Formats: sequence, C-alpha cells, structure tokens
Amino acid sequence: MVADSGPIFRAGVRHLLGRESDFEVFEADAVPVLSQTLAERTPDIALIDLELPPSGGVAAVAGLAPLYETQMILWGFEAPKNSVLAAITAGAKGFLPKEISQAGLIRSLRGVVRGEAPLSRGLATVMIDAVQGLEERDRARERAAALSTREREVLALVAKGARNRQIAEGLSISEFTVKRHMQNILHKLDLPSRRAAGLFYRSAFESAGVVEMERTA
Amino acid sequence: MTAEARSAAEPGFPLVAVVSSYPLLAEAVEGALEGIAEVRAFPAGQGDTADFLRLLQPAAVVVDSAEEAEAAAEFAREARATLVHVSLREDRLRLLHAGRWQNLSDGSASPERIRSAVAAGIYLRGVRT
Repeated sequence: MVADSGPIFRAGVRHLLGRESDFEVFEADAVPVLSQTLAERTPDIALIDLELPPSGGVAAVAGLAPLYETQMILWGFEAPKNSVLAAITAGAKGFLPKEISQAGLIRSLRGVVRGEAPLSRGLATVMIDAVQGLEERDRARERAAALSTREREVLALVAKGARNRQIAEGLSISEFTVKRHMQNILHKLDLPSRRAAGLFYRSAFESAGVVEMERTA
Repeated sequence: MTAEARSAAEPGFPLVAVVSSYPLLAEAVEGALEGIAEVRAFPAGQGDTADFLRLLQPAAVVVDSAEEAEAAAEFAREARATLVHVSLREDRLRLLHAGRWQNLSDGSASPERIRSAVAAGIYLRGVRT
C-alpha cells in the first residue's frame, strides 16, 4: 500500500514493485482512501507520506495503527527529528527518505515483512538519543518522588526563574519557609545549587522533545 | 535487471534521460513512457550534466531540481531537445519549449503529464529534423 498525494511517487513505487512477483500494490492519495483500503484489502505494509492529506502521515498512523495489523512505514522528503519520533511513538515501524534507491526500497519492504524496522543510521541515532532521554527523564522523576507536594511546587517556580519573594507570594508562605523548602529540595535531590535544581526540574518534567512527541502522538 | 539494462533492451526508441535525486521519479517516467521511449536514469548533483547530455544526445530530458534544469537547458537549447523540470516538493511541472520555460500550472505533476510533454516534444523534434 503506497499512500502519497504525489502521483509520481505512487507511480514510481507501482512501477518498481510491479516487476517483483511477491508484491501487489494498492494506492491512496489521502487518509480516507488509505483507511478504506486498509479495511478492505488488509495490506501487509503501508508506505505513508509524512504530508499525506488532510492531516499528515503521523496523525494517520496514530489513528490507524491501533486498528490494523498492517505494518506502517512513513516516508518523506526530510526526516525532522520530532516527526520521526512522533511517528514511531504513534505506531510506525520505520521512516524512509524519498530519495531511497529502488534496491533500498525493495530491501526495506522485504525487511519489514521479516520484522525489521527500516531506519537510516542517522535516524537510528535520533531514536537512541530519544530513548536515552526518556530513561533520564524517568530516573529524574523517580528522584523527584522524594519531594513533598509543596517542595515540588517550589521547585517548579524555581525552574521558571522565580525569586524567593515571588515564590513566597505565589504560594502564600513566608520567605523563610521558601528557603527551608529549598534547602530540603537540594538535600533530597543531592543537588549543589538552585540553578541545578531548576535544570533538574526541566529535565524531569519539561523535556521539549518528549513533550513534543507525546503531544503529536 | 536494472532500469538501464531494461531500457537498453529496447532499441529504436528515442532516448529520454532522467537526471534526478529521486530514483522513483525515473521509475515513474519509465512506466509512463513504456512503448514510447527508452528511459535512462542518472543521479543528480554530479556537476557535469550538460557535458554528459551532449555525449548521450537524448531526445528529451527530465530533471527534478532548478540547478539541473539550468545545466540541462544549455544542452536542450543546442540540441532542440525537450526538457521537463519536475518539482516534486511543489508538485509542479515546467517545460522548456522553443528556448523558453513554460509553467504547466493546471493540475499536479503526474506521470501522464510528463508523458504528454515528452511525447509531444519528441514528435515535434522529429517533425523539425
């Protein structure tokens, strides 16, 4: 199944795979046709354009992957890190560049049937970084569990750059109490400074890539 | 069998060169011109497009970037060959006709429109020569 709004890429895939005896190709130019074909023909693999109308390939995979056993692969002109992460999180099995060679595409598609995930070396690195980022976030969150609710509130404001007086006003407590909470936070998290505490909070709860990935998914 | 080997097995057809970063464009063009032309694919960005087109002397050229279009236009003007620039990202086609670029703006860049442009250009070239 090739789902792409560009007739040239659909025709290219159709012509290429038409020479192979073990492929049958269906086409879709938009998500509704893709959805209908998945339901009616249950293809083994769907190669889905990152910009597939109307809502894009990532949203299409997020909506369709839970419903069908078809292995979904996204492809596109570029491979933006966040889009690739979002695609994989949404249920895609891999990401291919549209510059892919004929042999590369055939090899990748046959690999998908065998359970392999098609990803370039560069994208594999992105995935490893993302997984490591998630692990770091989980570790940070485990450490943050030692904090009380009030200490978490104080730390959140510290991460936003608030001074003690502002935190005291915001939480309706005294500056002395804020200082005491701050000492407890640094002690419990084994951190050397207020700045380190702010960075810690952001790594645990505001990791941009992860937030982006979860939102898109 | 590679696209080049397959096309080489079809003697007598006019030659169409596809200079592209996207091998699937050459596949689409080959499919669209089946029975009409022999299609050979070449990677873009090699820096010698005009020279190798002069050696190859295709009846038509299909490119997918403005840089290759500029380089291939030199040859196309000299040889009165048809030149089609397919902008895959913008889904647009333009055609070098009588030394000037014409935007083919109605509809998307489909293989059928490439076929029409190339076939018409090959026919007119044959009439002229």
